[in-house]
Order: sequence, then structure tokens, then C-alpha cells
Amino acid sequence: MEDIFAQLSQQAINGITIGGVYALIAIGYTMVYGVLSMLNFAHGELYMIGGFTGWWVLQLFSINHVPVMNAALLISLMILLSMAVSALLGLVIERIAYRPLRKAPRMNLLLSSLGVSIFIQNFILYFQGAKVKVFHVSQLIPQGIRVFHVGGVSISFMRIFVIVTCFLLMVCLTLIIKKTNIGKAIRATAQDIEAAAFMGIDTDKVIVTVFLIGSALGGAAGVLVSLLFTQVDYYVGFQAGLKGFTAAVLGGIGSIPGAMAGGLMLGLCEAMAVTFFPSAYKDVVAFLILIAVLIFRPQGLLGEKLREKV
Amino acid sequence: MECQGGIQGVKIEHIMGDDALDPAQGINVARKFVSDELMYGVVGPPVSHVAQASLKIYGKNNLACITTAASKPELTESGYKHFFRVNARNDAHGLNCALFIKRYLKAHKVAVLNEKVAYCQNLATQTIKNLKELGISDILNDTIVAGSKDYSAVLTKVKAYKPDVIFFIATAAPDQAIGVRQAKELGIEAIFFGTEGARDKTDFIEASEGAAEGAYVYHFSPDIYSIQEADAYVKNYEAKYGTLSGFGPPAYEAMNILLTAIDLAAKDGKIDREEVISQLSAIKNYKGILGFPVSFDEKGDLMGGATYFFKVNGQNFDQVAVLTGE
Repeated sequence: MEDIFAQLSQQAINGITIGGVYALIAIGYTMVYGVLSMLNFAHGELYMIGGFTGWWVLQLFSINHVPVMNAALLISLMILLSMAVSALLGLVIERIAYRPLRKAPRMNLLLSSLGVSIFIQNFILYFQGAKVKVFHVSQLIPQGIRVFHVGGVSISFMRIFVIVTCFLLMVCLTLIIKKTNIGKAIRATAQDIEAAAFMGIDTDKVIVTVFLIGSALGGAAGVLVSLLFTQVDYYVGFQAGLKGFTAAVLGGIGSIPGAMAGGLMLGLCEAMAVTFFPSAYKDVVAFLILIAVLIFRPQGLLGEKLREKV
Repeated sequence: MECQGGIQGVKIEHIMGDDALDPAQGINVARKFVSDELMYGVVGPPVSHVAQASLKIYGKNNLACITTAASKPELTESGYKHFFRVNARNDAHGLNCALFIKRYLKAHKVAVLNEKVAYCQNLATQTIKNLKELGISDILNDTIVAGSKDYSAVLTKVKAYKPDVIFFIATAAPDQAIGVRQAKELGIEAIFFGTEGARDKTDFIEASEGAAEGAYVYHFSPDIYSIQEADAYVKNYEAKYGTLSGFGPPAYEAMNILLTAIDLAAKDGKIDREEVISQLSAIKNYKGILGFPVSFDEKGDLMGGATYFFKVNGQNFDQVAVLTGE
């Protein structure tokens, strides 16, 4: 009995970690969908670029896998630069691939985003190769505090760090959306882009901000996962993007709190599913739950019902 | 061969194709290779699921293939004439691994995780079948997803099962490095036993940053550093490219066997692809760098293949056992 309790607690920790990451990715999907009603399938690649940027920073500041600067400083630098590079790339993508198509049917935007995704993946494949990049992180954390064992449950320092950082980022985002003027503008634009423009909101600026924030969070997710699982390759964005998108739909696409809840729920469901079913079925269980939620709440967990405009 | 002035005086060009261990990419590589009229042989496809998808294309065009690691038994049971291997098959490895787990690791309870691609699934089935025949019936059989980078959920389940040994069957070394690292993080005390892909100093031992210490792996080729004939090869290679992975020596051997066959086929001044294949199947007791003579049976399989077992000791793999199914 104690065993199953320990196992479930451990799975809850596993689930919350990966769920927090799904949530960060889902936010990018949901924010862009909110203002542009488009699915940005290139979002997963920003996650991948975040991971790669982190790796480049770590390589640059390590000699023989030993960091040459303070570990806390190095990790902060990795996260900040990853967010910056992903954000910048998000802006470039918006400017080159989406803005010229703003007036075109949504399907064109969708195809454009798929094209961008394939391009970025192959760009990295060409210049970085298919070989996995390994993060040598063990030197970043002092020996004594790398893993904690409590009861039958084990949790590493890095895992705690990833969970805490995910939640801090989500709290920051919520404050920005709720308390600041730009947050208000984002909410207004998401509600009705034309009306927002009539009220004097520079909707182009809002869209740029949304890409900036969403991409930065995607990049942060990428580097956090890489720090924890210690590897990144050119293909990781695909799977991550798919899961992030699912989390966004689960939570109700367009809703930021929904994306957070959807991500956590998806992560937890996957981890718990493995306890009771063969792990090959974990995605089956996760998607069954998605289908069930969509049958009973088509707008997603926290999404708003769209009323038909007459 | 190149130093000896090429094949009958003709220069050899080495062309690489990257299939990224993906069957779809493997088919692209195969199409590219067979359409090159000056191509007379291929070292590859490297793994079973890529071989499964692309062998037909090579076969239709009579282009000889020598794999260095694809070990699914069915590959040589399909009647192909153009396909050879310098490695033993999964049925041999499955039996040898089961024997190793029982005799050497003295396990009573085993968790077998596999990656759901042809080679991994097949090796898992073969090993479990043989473990049961050896009287070990306490087996947890579960799967992992290649490249997902997170095995903590399934390893948590393994931890609760409390096995003596985790047999972690994955294709590539990086995935096994994550496996051994996350097993340690979860405080799993079972012996970690990885597959041939894990015999890679950089991508397994170094990438796991100490977690792999004391872990075991099996491999289809012996410890190359202990073979005298391989000395020159190892020195030349490592001076130029850094540490050898476990896949290097068999690939080198396969290449040399292929070049020998091509050379023999070209002796009479003309050459075609069929001739290369018939010269390959005639290879008997080829003595290269692998420490055992290579001969192919009528199916293209290596005769008398063995399984070699290693233990991670610091930055090295120490060979601890060789089993041949007895």
C-alpha cells in the first residue's frame, strides 16, 4: 500500500514537471490563436531553438564540461539567452511568414507555419547535424544536493528548479496580462481585433508582443527540458509542439489559464497512465481524455463558448 | 585498398548517406544509391527497421549490402541474395543475453524495456522467451519511446517492481544514457544492462556523467583494443577522428570485405553488380580486424557469431564475458 502511494507521488512529480513544460509551450499556441485565430505550427521549433541556444551557451562557457563561471549565473544566462533568441526568431517568423498573409484565408497562414517549421528543422539539421547534443550539467550542481530522497520518492535539484521556474514564468505572464496596459491591449485584441483597433489600440504592436512573449516562453521550455533531460536534437520540436498544441486545445484554445491547466493535466494524465497501463498506451490515454473533454466541453476546460455572431 | 592504388587501378570514391535511423530517410538513401551506376556496394543499412524498409530497393537493383548491426533474424530469412551481415542475429543475442542475465548477473526478477522498433521489439521477445526457458518468470515487459528524452514515468513503474536487472533495449546510445541517468536519479538499485548501441564512450559513458558506472552492455563485436590485428586501424582512426564507437570496427571490416569482393569481381577487367554479390557470398574465412574469421552462410548470415559482454569501468568498457549460446 505504501508502495503504490510512493509510486503515485513519484508519478505526480514526473507529471507536474513535464506538464509545466507543456503548459509553457501551450501558452504560445493559445496566445497566437487568441489574436490571429491561427495555429502556429512553427512554435515547436522555437522550443527546439531554445534548447540549442542553451547548449551553445553552455558549450561557450565550459571547458572540458566544467563551467568557467558561477553555476547560477550560467543557468540564468542560458535561460535568458534562449528566451531572447527564440523571441527574436518568433518576431522574424511573424514579419516574414505571417504578416504578408494577414488578410489571406487562415489556411494559407497554417501552411506557411508548417513551411517555416520544416525550414527551421532542416536548417538546424544541416548546420548542426542529426547527432544529439549532450548537456553536461552535473558540474552545475554541487554533489550533496543533486538528488533528494524522501520516503520512497526521489526528486532531483534540477527537477525542482524546472518546476519552480515554469511556475514563476506563468505567474509573471498572468500578472502582465492582468495588470499592465499591454496586457489589457492583448485581451482586447483577442476579444475583437477590429473593435480594439477602433479604440485606438495598435493591433500590429499587440500581435508582435504576443509573438514575442509566446516565443520567449517556448524557448524557456526548450532550455528547461534540456537542462533536466540533458539532451537536445533537431527533431525535439515536433513532439513538443504536438503536446503543447494538445494541451492548448485541452485547456480551451485562446485561453491562457486554460493552456496552463491543460498542460498540467496532460502531463499528469500521461504519467499516471503509465502506472496502470503499458507505457506504450500513455499517449492513447492522454488523447482519450482529450476527446472525452471535447465531447462534454467542446470549448475546452477553461475556454469561452463562442457565440455565433448574427 | 586505396593505398594499394584503388580497385584494379581505379580510384574508389566513398559516398555517405544519412538515414537518421528513420526508415523513410533510409528509402531515400537507397533510391539515391541504386540510381548511381558507379555504385557497386553499400555498407549498411545500419539497423533493422531501416533495413526492413530499404532492402527490397537494393535487392531489385542487385546492389550488395553488408550491414554492421541490423540483427533482426527475418532480414536474412526473406530470400535476399544481396544482403550480408558481419554481426550475429537477435535470436543468438537473445539467448546469450538471457544466459548472461541468469548466470553472470544472477537475477531472479528482470525488467525488460524496449523501444518499439524492429530490432528492439524482436530482441525483447527473444530474450524474454529464453529467460522463461531458463526458469526466470518474474519479468516486467514494457516499452519506451525513442527520442522522447523522458523515461522517468516508465522507470518509476520499474522502481516499484524492484527488479534485479533492467534490460534497457534501445537503438541509440544517447537514449540509453538518459535511461541510466534517470534510473539513478530515481534511486533504482537494479543493475542497468544496455544493448549494443550503448557501447559508445562519448554518447553513453560521458553523456551519462557517471551514472553509467558499473552498468553492463552487450555487443556483437569483441573489445577492439585487445585485438592485435586491429592495432594499426585503431591508432590511425583515433589519431584522426577521436574515440572509436562500437560500430566503427565492424563497419571497417564490412567495408574491407566489400572492397575485396569488388576487387575480385573487377579482376577480369569488367564488373557488374551481380558479380559483386556472387563474390561476396564466396567470401570464406576473411581475417580482418574483428578477431574472428568472417564467412557467410547461404542466407548471408555470419557463421558462428558470438555475443560479447562489457562492464563500464571509469571511462572504459571492460570485456567480462563471451557467450556463444551454451
